[in-house]
Amino acid sequence: MSDLNNFKTRLKIAKSKLDERNLSKNSEKSIFLGNAFKLGTELIAAVAVGTIIGFILDSWFDTKPILIIIFFLFGAVAGIWNVIKAAKRMQKN
Amino acid sequence: MAANPMHQFTVYKIGPKIEIMGIDLSFTNASLFMLISAVLILLLLTFGTNEKKLIPSKVQLLSETLYNFIAKMISDTAGKKAKPYFPFIFSLFVFILFCNMLGMLPYSFTVTSHIIVTLTFALFIFIGVTIVGFTIHGFKYLKIFVPSGVPIVLLPIISIIEIISYLSRPVSLSVRLFANMMAGHTMLKVFGGFVISLGLIGGWLPLTFSVALTGLEILVAFLQAYVFAILTCIYLNDALNLHH
Repeated sequence: MSDLNNFKTRLKIAKSKLDERNLSKNSEKSIFLGNAFKLGTELIAAVAVGTIIGFILDSWFDTKPILIIIFFLFGAVAGIWNVIKAAKRMQKN
Repeated sequence: MAANPMHQFTVYKIGPKIEIMGIDLSFTNASLFMLISAVLILLLLTFGTNEKKLIPSKVQLLSETLYNFIAKMISDTAGKKAKPYFPFIFSLFVFILFCNMLGMLPYSFTVTSHIIVTLTFALFIFIGVTIVGFTIHGFKYLKIFVPSGVPIVLLPIISIIEIISYLSRPVSLSVRLFANMMAGHTMLKVFGGFVISLGLIGGWLPLTFSVALTGLEILVAFLQAYVFAILTCIYLNDALNLHH
């Protein structure tokens, strides 16, 4: 048990030395950075997927370029919708 | 050769060419670095869990922190129901983290800077999550494309948007990891090249940049693995707890 008590006091001393405020600030910053990366690709990916779907449907039905334009717009809306969903999730946390 | 910042991403064969049924299965430098990270993970976790001391050794502390970190992340984002998927998310996170971090060593190869690798991860997750959703909820899983409280007139449009948004998940997941790793490593190489070409007089400025960028890249390497794992949890949560 003395081993454990010894460890506890050592842990206490080590914790008091740590500048906790600074530590949490740093980890918060990196989470923000992660979120920023997330939002950018979320927007682009949906636009890309929408355009690709439009392109494929266009070559199926031979209706170039109507569907690619429509699905590009759908993709843009889906991208913005993705970003809104992600932002809402961030606010919840 | 040394001046080309993209040279570091070249995949080349190590050893003899292996071809099975017309598919090239040769052992490449990419396979070598995947193998190295897998072996390193195995060693870390084996030594970490070998001696279970009350006061942990450094290796034990590291593996326990890793375990706690992932366990907390899963319970925070996906709830209790996601617990059976812990092994998968844990291996995914640790593997991506080790691949990213190994890439930070000079002369090494970054596996995750190739879109085929990240896309394989992302498609595996995407298909897996879809299968999980369908096995748990059956055809009710299709409800995620039909948000509640939407007028009938708008429903087809909203559904198309939701389907595109769903299909964009693997794309955004894979492109994010791949683009971040490739851009970071290219930038490091470009600044490294500046140091050589500017020489003793002007080389100090890009050298400082290089040092700062290396720090940033290590942060990004961790962060991207984290984002990849947490998004997997979020997608899993959507599949497990249907609430739309």
